[in-house]
Amino acid sequence: MKAPSFVFSILAACLAGSLSAQPSHLGPIPARIVVTHADQRRAAYEARVDEVLAWRVGLAKPGELLPDMAVIAAKLARREDGELCSRSVIALMQEPGSGPFWMFPVVNIAYLGRDQLSPEAKKSIRDAWRSVMQIRGDTENHWVMYYTSLYLMAELYPNDPATSWYNGKSSAENLAEARAYLIDWMDLATTVGQGEFNPTHYIGEYAIPMLFLASWAEDPAMRQRGRMKLDWLFADLAENSLEGVLHGANARTDDTSVIERWNALATFFNWICFGNTPPPAGYGGWGLYFATAAKAYDVPEVIYRIAVDRGGDFLQRDLKRTRRRWRNSDVQLAPIYKTNYSRRDYAVGSYQGGLSDPIQAHVWDVTWAVPDPRGVHNTMFSMHPVSSGFDMQTYFTELPDQMTKGVTKEGKASYDSPDKFLGCSRFEQVFQDLDTVIALYDIPPGTRFPHINGFFSKDLVNLTVDPSGWIFAQGGNAYLAYRPLAPYELQPVARIKSSWTGERADTGDKRLYSPHLKNGTIVQAASAGEFKDFAAFQAAIRALPLEFKLDPVPTVRFTTLRGKAVVCTYGAAPVVDGQAVDYTRWKLFEGPYLNAEKGSRKLTLTHGRLERVLDFNTLTITDRVRDN
Amino acid sequence: MIRLKFHLLLLGLLAGSVGAAPAPQHTTYLCASISLNYVVGSKLVTLSGLYERGADDAYRHFGLNFPGIFALAVDPRDPQVLYAASLNGALCSRDGGKTWRIGTSWDMTEPKDVFVDPNAPDHVYLALPDGIAVSPDRGATWPRRENGLPERGKYTQVVKVDRTRAGRALAGCESGLYLTENGAASWRRVFPTQTTITDLRQSPHDAALWLATTQSDGAIVSRDGGLTWKKFAGVPSAEALYNVAFDATNPSRYAIGSWTYGVLVTEDGGQTWTERNAGLPAEHYVFRVGVDPDNGRLFAAVFKDAIFVSDDFGRTWRKDGLEGSTVYNFVFVPSAAK
Repeated sequence: MKAPSFVFSILAACLAGSLSAQPSHLGPIPARIVVTHADQRRAAYEARVDEVLAWRVGLAKPGELLPDMAVIAAKLARREDGELCSRSVIALMQEPGSGPFWMFPVVNIAYLGRDQLSPEAKKSIRDAWRSVMQIRGDTENHWVMYYTSLYLMAELYPNDPATSWYNGKSSAENLAEARAYLIDWMDLATTVGQGEFNPTHYIGEYAIPMLFLASWAEDPAMRQRGRMKLDWLFADLAENSLEGVLHGANARTDDTSVIERWNALATFFNWICFGNTPPPAGYGGWGLYFATAAKAYDVPEVIYRIAVDRGGDFLQRDLKRTRRRWRNSDVQLAPIYKTNYSRRDYAVGSYQGGLSDPIQAHVWDVTWAVPDPRGVHNTMFSMHPVSSGFDMQTYFTELPDQMTKGVTKEGKASYDSPDKFLGCSRFEQVFQDLDTVIALYDIPPGTRFPHINGFFSKDLVNLTVDPSGWIFAQGGNAYLAYRPLAPYELQPVARIKSSWTGERADTGDKRLYSPHLKNGTIVQAASAGEFKDFAAFQAAIRALPLEFKLDPVPTVRFTTLRGKAVVCTYGAAPVVDGQAVDYTRWKLFEGPYLNAEKGSRKLTLTHGRLERVLDFNTLTITDRVRDN
Repeated sequence: MIRLKFHLLLLGLLAGSVGAAPAPQHTTYLCASISLNYVVGSKLVTLSGLYERGADDAYRHFGLNFPGIFALAVDPRDPQVLYAASLNGALCSRDGGKTWRIGTSWDMTEPKDVFVDPNAPDHVYLALPDGIAVSPDRGATWPRRENGLPERGKYTQVVKVDRTRAGRALAGCESGLYLTENGAASWRRVFPTQTTITDLRQSPHDAALWLATTQSDGAIVSRDGGLTWKKFAGVPSAEALYNVAFDATNPSRYAIGSWTYGVLVTEDGGQTWTERNAGLPAEHYVFRVGVDPDNGRLFAAVFKDAIFVSDDFGRTWRKDGLEGSTVYNFVFVPSAAK
């Protein structure tokens, strides 16, 4: 059982007939102005919350029981139809689900319905938590949902005996276990880095539980932890988003989001918190559950400003961590060194390569800004498509052979496809300096899918294969230069459209296919405004000193557009202007907006004179306006 | 509902005493999942967890419906006391499977094997993806017992206790086979491997004879109680072997299950091995084999297909049931008094 998110598909299925009720999804692009007045920001935030709830209750059919927990939660959040909600809850609890994706919507209903649901409805919920063994799952997001749900239910029913819970533990035991896990998880995230970092969809599986904890935990310490972690997540999201679109690198994304960057649940959170992008269809599915409690959360101004009010280019370096490795590795949690260089016209993001998460990771890209991101494939990258039982076994406690087949039926249809654009590889090494990326590949013979894929969007213009070896293109106001280091061909892509069904569609994109084991990619981005014209950009790129060789291992010597002399050799530390990059000195966060020392449990958010400090050591949030 | 009646004598537990006495009857249990289109969170529309194969050869589900139960152990003193290795941790039942308690906490997950020390049945061993725990109190607490295991390489797929001596156990880990002779106070490696040991069994005929399967080191055998090991020359090792089973009715017969090779058998104590897949599905991804200790009947569970059975040790096969299942374990429990 891998990491599923089946509700995405369930909710997505109900979207087609209801798009007209989603004004922000289909309407004009929001005005990207900075709202300086707190009351106006709050009013706009609440209006967005109300829009989500109104859409969801609009899907209910008059005279019928409410069909799912999402619409019940929406109605309870609007404090309407308590009697109908009660009857619907009783009906739904006849057949409980079996894991965290079922648990937290039920917690949502249980808390929203405390003073609205009938005693019989409450009893049906309580009985369901006795009768069906809930599955804890095997990923970090599963556990955060599971234990947050268990914590809140144990608080709601504080004195119940072991016999009244599905797991045979008393309320007190469940509360203690859930609390211990959640604190341990937060401890890890605030000392050595977030796991499942910057996910395009799984952010919901973290943000929603944290909102519930912040809203409803009786213990003020846990409530505060939830609130602080929510700020932490949204600050991280803000930093890594470009006009409301989360870019790479991502521990987890999917076949759609990795290409159409906007089309992700992360966009919902950017929309609802910052209002700087249209939301995805159906508010990303899970967005509804956030909306039901969202009014209990106030987006801190400093995070809002990081998202929407950037003075100029910025470089941010973050420390994250891999998923837990059970075997095939010298370490249980390996560090992830993330770089994010953002400019008005584009953002470049990466981590150092290697395995972070087994299936859905995305190592690097250039993502460019567009006036309206809906339907736009505004990204460029290359990757080694991996399908490996060995790699899966590193992270899963399963026997080796069935996983590559099994996972394709669990919402990751592309995993065993050679033309996929999703995934990371232990045979990829990446270095980023500002808006230059050098990705090197040294793939052992016999590896399944012994080639690299480069993604060339349908939305690129002026795609030019230059005799120099560079490929030039323009995306939005970004000029892009892509240098393959081994022979290749550009092929049309029948891209996987649905991660669940594997259905494919011709999107007009192209795949750079390079079947060479020793390989590499250099990408250099620049703003169109930096050059007189596209030809001038091309000339500047051609003039950059570049030497490379692929044997015995790929090595590149390149002077970037920004004047840095970079030497990258596969298997060795990158060297910039004669200095080897020392990742051991990487901080938890370092940049103009987010700063934290490794191991500190303390994050400082800064924008202009605004500062907010989230200190998990003291469980304090400190806001101040700094002196000029 | 489980309905087990046991001899209280330990000697019947592993069918190890079939030589002189009349063969005890056993009940066949399976840890199995039938999870068509299941993902975490969805409604369970199929029955998974524990199955019993009845006298009518039908498979009946009992106990909780849970898609991640990988191994089952029974207290030889009290058939109502059950232990299951599950996705959620170690499950314990005191009422024959009617109710269960998760005995472990958040810091232990996905154990793959659980085993009761037949000579010290308060002690229950648990194989964890990050080590080994041993409950000294019938599953009430689960302290880790990892002294001697490496910091990395202690992924543990299987743990079995020697039936001849309390506190003597072998564990199959990522980095090899480990032996304890002091109730898991300490472990020492007795055989190194490159990748995970997938199964480990003690012969019902000869307590000194142990077999193990591995992912990339083939099948290995010990004839001195697990102290020294050597590879079976005739067993392929290029691809993973998943498990091994003794035939309690015939000391010369063993069977191995493998995703790639299907069913491998020997009828001469391991000198020669033969693939016996004729009659199995063309894609014979064998996840588990088992041998009924009462009659030598050979079972092969083909991944998400069905259970197949052979009365001639693999020469011919017929479908036996549990279609769509993944079988994690065959468990044969003495039930002569049933």
